[in-house]
Amino acid sequence: MNEVLSVKGLGKSFKDTRVVKNIDFDVHKGEIMAILGPNGAGKSTTIRSIMGILLPDEGSVTFHNHAEEGVPRHKIGYLPEERGLYKKVKVMDILLYFAELKDYPLDRAKERALEYLKKFDLEGKENVSVDELSKGMGQKVQFIGSVIHEPELLILDEPFSGLDPVSQEVFKQEIKDLAKKGTAILLSSHQMNLVEEMCDRLFLIHRGQKVIYGSMDEVKEQYANFKCTIHGDNDRSMLEKIDQVERVEQKDDISILYLSSDVVISDWIKQLPSTLDIQELSVDRISLHEIFVDIATDRSLAQEAGVVDAK
Amino acid sequence: MRNSWKVAKWEIKRNLKSKSFLISLFLTPIIFAIFATVPTLLSDSGEDHDSEPAQTTVYLNDEIGIWDQLEPMVSKGGDLHWDVELTDQSSVEMTATLEEETQSVYIHLDESALESGKVDYYTSEEVPDSFQYEVQLFEQPLRYVQLERTGLDESEIQSAMIPISFNQNEVTMEAGDDVGEEQAQGVEAFLEKFVPGVFAGLVLFSIAITGMMVFQSASEEKKEKVAEIILSSVTAGELMQGKIIGYFVLGILQVTVWIGMALPVALALVDYPIIQYLLVPETLLFLLIAVLGYLMFASIFVGLGATLEDSSSGSNFQGFVFMIPWLPFIFMGPVISNPESTLSQVLSYVPFTSPGIMILRLSILDEWPWLQILISIVILIVSIWLLMKLAGKIFRIGILIYGKNATLPEIWKWLRS
Repeated sequence: MNEVLSVKGLGKSFKDTRVVKNIDFDVHKGEIMAILGPNGAGKSTTIRSIMGILLPDEGSVTFHNHAEEGVPRHKIGYLPEERGLYKKVKVMDILLYFAELKDYPLDRAKERALEYLKKFDLEGKENVSVDELSKGMGQKVQFIGSVIHEPELLILDEPFSGLDPVSQEVFKQEIKDLAKKGTAILLSSHQMNLVEEMCDRLFLIHRGQKVIYGSMDEVKEQYANFKCTIHGDNDRSMLEKIDQVERVEQKDDISILYLSSDVVISDWIKQLPSTLDIQELSVDRISLHEIFVDIATDRSLAQEAGVVDAK
Repeated sequence: MRNSWKVAKWEIKRNLKSKSFLISLFLTPIIFAIFATVPTLLSDSGEDHDSEPAQTTVYLNDEIGIWDQLEPMVSKGGDLHWDVELTDQSSVEMTATLEEETQSVYIHLDESALESGKVDYYTSEEVPDSFQYEVQLFEQPLRYVQLERTGLDESEIQSAMIPISFNQNEVTMEAGDDVGEEQAQGVEAFLEKFVPGVFAGLVLFSIAITGMMVFQSASEEKKEKVAEIILSSVTAGELMQGKIIGYFVLGILQVTVWIGMALPVALALVDYPIIQYLLVPETLLFLLIAVLGYLMFASIFVGLGATLEDSSSGSNFQGFVFMIPWLPFIFMGPVISNPESTLSQVLSYVPFTSPGIMILRLSILDEWPWLQILISIVILIVSIWLLMKLAGKIFRIGILIYGKNATLPEIWKWLRS
């Protein structure tokens, strides 16, 4: 795969607190790579270090395809977490300013801006003053600003925060399209469900450290084990005796059986005891969302379920 | 540098398109003109009202008989607003009248006054202070009578009465023999430096104001959270420089417009060839000092702006920094009264007061202290370099801190990092 960005051994401290340490990952051309983690995990610090807005204390950030030192700013599109626009200027003016800062030809930029405004349902707003836009419209304009110069690498810090579901869909689609056209995309989020459907690889960070890193499928295979949900009146001790069940959670008539990682579902279903009371049965993987919530709340489900029980 | 220029261009364009900037650009000189002229107009019209009742009633008991000589002068009017009534009443009798009336005076000229050289006069309430000078009018005729009584003839009296006056003639190195010409040159030489000085003062004033705009702009960048987007394209240093350059151009533009509006008025009102005085080499030095002053204040303000999200909630510290450009005004009095004093010299070496004080001193001084000028310019340049570095540090960190104002200890920490 064609690497665009590599981060190696990144670390940063504020005062005496280590905010991030030992962060390693790559971003490839045409893929969507997600940095996930709860609030305060170190996502923005990592991204700001990549952008050279913060100077990391240790580690290296390498932009491939660029021989010269420093951040190739003209080739990167960046949508920061804390973002806004100048208030009393026209939408087109500010977009052209962003393009000019990136040395992108202005006539092309104007064309692209109009195209994007149309795509984002903002047609005819190019001469409207920014302070007359709604918050959602403003977010769309910021997004356009970050991609107007056709960046090689697009870095989006919490792109979905504060967006309504419709706009979220629009953004998601656009990000996927950009990736398809070959843009390398690095995005951070704490909304797992959104990211799960779109990203190719992910880096899960907690308390400034790597928890999970890999492709979506790998991660699902490795960490997201199967679980079997059974509706019916069953005795807990009986459920626990079933082969390859690692843990049972019961609530009212619903029992969730967490299965070991090497389970083969078709075989496992065949050997279920006939005495079980089954009104409904479903088998699916533990979602990333659940892993994420558990990590954030320090229950370490991934470890309990997958690797070794730490306790 | 190219990036700084892009930022500068944006700041210029953005301000030129904003109504508030344009309004203040054209309104400020008008407001100045209003403030300068309205009080004079008001007081003028006030005087017109008062001029009629301003007549002072003078009761004159003239036992010597000099009134005949004076009457034509008094009744001709001129500066005197006297309403003279001859009387033969004594001071005791007049007391009652004076108590009742206002703005009335009783003067008794008699033999004893002539002998002792003391004339008593009695005033009612509301007699203007200027009366004590106006009453000197009686001196010459009285003196004449005095001398006449000693038996001098007319020509002797005339020569005795020529007043002796003392004229100052300052001897400077270039002083010519011709005193009159030297004086005329003095006025010209004064204007030659004063006009560029006023010009430079105007430039400095205007750019101190645009310095404030740099502050606002940096603070806005932070408040509206655009900074991080911009910083993905340019470095913090370039953004800062761009702002400083951009507002510098705006400041110059402002001065140009103001002078463009003020110069025709000044030319119409004043006879001196102002433009000729303005186009002298001295103006360049004044401008250099003013520009250096701007760079210093702008770097202070841009750094300060990056620490404040909301200028209304600034702490005392930040408020104090705001006062810095106005420091020279405090010392204006002492410096004008003695531009060569130690205080004046020291203030020329203190970076914060140096631009204002130097411009002020150089406008007044005949002989320029070149060594002092050189030292103070070097000090200025060094402090600008230093302040820019410090401002850069503060700006770089401060602009990315959201939702709060930086405290002094925090700023101190950034400076040391």
